[in-house]
Amino acid sequence: MGQVDLIQVSKRYGTAEAVSAVNLAIADHEFIVLLGPSGCGKSTLLKMIAGLEDVSDGEIYIDGNLVNYARPADRNVAMVFQNYALYPHMTVFDNIAFPLKMTGVAKSETDQRVRQAAGALGLETLLDRRPEQLSGGQRQRVALGRAIVREPSVFLMDEPLSNLDAQLRVQTREELLRLHARLQRTTIYVTHDQIEAMTMGHRIVVMRGGVVQQVGPPQQVYDEPANTFVAAFLGSPRINLHAGRLDQGGSGATFVANGTAILLPPRLAELARAATTEAALGVRPENIHVLLDPAATDGASNALPATVSLVEPVGSDLYVTATTGDLSWTARAEPRLPVTPGQTIGLRLDLQRAHLFGESGRNLALAG
Amino acid sequence: MAIETEFAELRPPADITRATAARRKGPSLYLIAIYGILVIAAFIALVPFLYVISTSFKDTISLFQYPPEWIPSEPTLDNFRGLLADYPFVRWMLNSFVVASAVTIVKVVIDSMAGYAFAKMTFPGKDALFLVVLMTLMVPFAATLIPLFIIVRDLNLTNTYAGLILPALASPIGIFMMRQFIETLPTDLENAARLDGCSEFQIFRRVILPLIRPGLVVLGVFTFMTQWTSYLWPLVIGTKTEMFTLTVGVQSLRSLFTVNWGILSAGAVLSMLPLVLVFLFLQRYFIAGSIAGALKE
Ligand SMILES: Nc1ncnc2c1ncn2[C@@H]1O[C@H](COP(=O)(O)OP(=O)(O)OP(=O)(O)O)[C@@H](O)[C@H]1O
Ligand SMILES: [Mg+2]
Repeated sequence: MGQVDLIQVSKRYGTAEAVSAVNLAIADHEFIVLLGPSGCGKSTLLKMIAGLEDVSDGEIYIDGNLVNYARPADRNVAMVFQNYALYPHMTVFDNIAFPLKMTGVAKSETDQRVRQAAGALGLETLLDRRPEQLSGGQRQRVALGRAIVREPSVFLMDEPLSNLDAQLRVQTREELLRLHARLQRTTIYVTHDQIEAMTMGHRIVVMRGGVVQQVGPPQQVYDEPANTFVAAFLGSPRINLHAGRLDQGGSGATFVANGTAILLPPRLAELARAATTEAALGVRPENIHVLLDPAATDGASNALPATVSLVEPVGSDLYVTATTGDLSWTARAEPRLPVTPGQTIGLRLDLQRAHLFGESGRNLALAG
Repeated sequence: MAIETEFAELRPPADITRATAARRKGPSLYLIAIYGILVIAAFIALVPFLYVISTSFKDTISLFQYPPEWIPSEPTLDNFRGLLADYPFVRWMLNSFVVASAVTIVKVVIDSMAGYAFAKMTFPGKDALFLVVLMTLMVPFAATLIPLFIIVRDLNLTNTYAGLILPALASPIGIFMMRQFIETLPTDLENAARLDGCSEFQIFRRVILPLIRPGLVVLGVFTFMTQWTSYLWPLVIGTKTEMFTLTVGVQSLRSLFTVNWGILSAGAVLSMLPLVLVFLFLQRYFIAGSIAGALKE
């Protein structure tokens, strides 16, 4: 119980396509995260699974049953809404009890199940309050309680943490994971927060403009982004991504962007051979090393003299942004490194971990 | 085409602090001026009422005193006694009460349901239908008065409660009002109810209706007041004295050649009383918000 299959699922509003031909097989017990920027169709996809939006095209199966035409309440899914959508005129108890009441569960059983759910979420003392008398975190837990009390086979969560402050968000994230570990229910979780996606998902689904860009375990998606969009979306600070051209010169393949030439190591040179001349190079900030002595870059083909333009200490790290010609690079450096804006430094790119993207932004390493 | 390395959707949103900063201005001269105008307007509106009240307590002699007295030196209840003894005033009040209450109750039910359908449901022809409803708003009552009268007469409903009540039920303003009100409710509330197993009617009954209570009260008071003060239709449809409503009845107190201002004023004062009471009792609903707590801030 709790397996969800999406086959070529699309949603059109008029002529605009909010979700385009999504194929996804979600296993029982899986915690899958839909990740993407605002407006990319995450909520729409979730609502289609819930039955709150009609499917324009394609098929949705829950536990092998086609549910395209099933009523939301008959799909055995529960949803936590972004705004919680608590019934303002009901107490916490009545909010949690509502789904049971509507499906005709006996009063004594309702009472017991509500108390159990409330207990699991630490809401016992708040049962007589109304939503307006609760803090954001408490409301969020009531919304969660209303979902778990039904014991559905699939949980749908639409950015359930986005209205909490940073500290509460981390705490609730852990609680959600514990809850998932305990209940072992398939969870489809929508967020635009990459940290949530990375920390919570067994797999993440990166979406853009209604189209799935990549599906995979978080680390894999981070390490092997399918295209420039995924590379840019995951990781903070952002990956250094520069468009340029490939030169198959005598000394080996080089990547040239705005007059800066970078000799590619054999792994990337190999990929470059199969590509057209247009390409983009992506290097994550943690794969760029700051050398205080620019002279140290002499001779090294993957080292560039650069001028520091910005230094951002974040405590655990120091983000150093420096420019070579017209190219700007951000490096993650040691926290107390003595660099100041205007200073000339050397940047050594660890190209073994760099990505080369070809036409339409595709990662050449994943071609085929 | 160059490979995409910049993504508009990944850029941080535009600065939103500016909007909040601009709003932060203390109460201004502007506000003071507004309140000043409101106070003056309220006073101008009150003067005739005060004068009618004062007149209803005057005897026939002090009525025509010049300059007029605001507070009668010898207040009397003769006007009220005369009104209740010589005219079917109680019956008129009952008529008005029956008509206004019936119209109010039925309209609140119909309009909230229609408003919900227009606000939240999807069905073919919804927009066109709503346009038609809105268009009836623009037809002046004077234009439909005669055809309506002929219909009601042919149905033999003159001098009946049905004849007074039924035509008043078909007015679009309440539907429009309820639609606007219900539209402000977050759609996710209905979605939550749908997932929790509610039918469309249960969503309306258990989620929407409790949340639009302030709107229902406003509509109810508004409708009651309109009916209570409605004059033209009851005048046209009622020819027997015992089927007069208050407005028609009080107006009939002026006989052909003389007007007993004292009795007329007493009638007016008694007619206003129920409206004032309704307002006083339901005032808090006009101010109360209903969806606080449904949404995050
Ligand atoms: N009822 C609707 N009618 C027309 N267009 C809609 C409707 N609902 C959503 N859309 C459009 O569909 C696209 C996807 O919307 P959706 O709400 O799924 O985005 P999202 O990924 O959840 O974004 P966010 O992170 O901001 O919640 C958007 O471009 C949106 O404008
Ligand atoms: Mg959304």
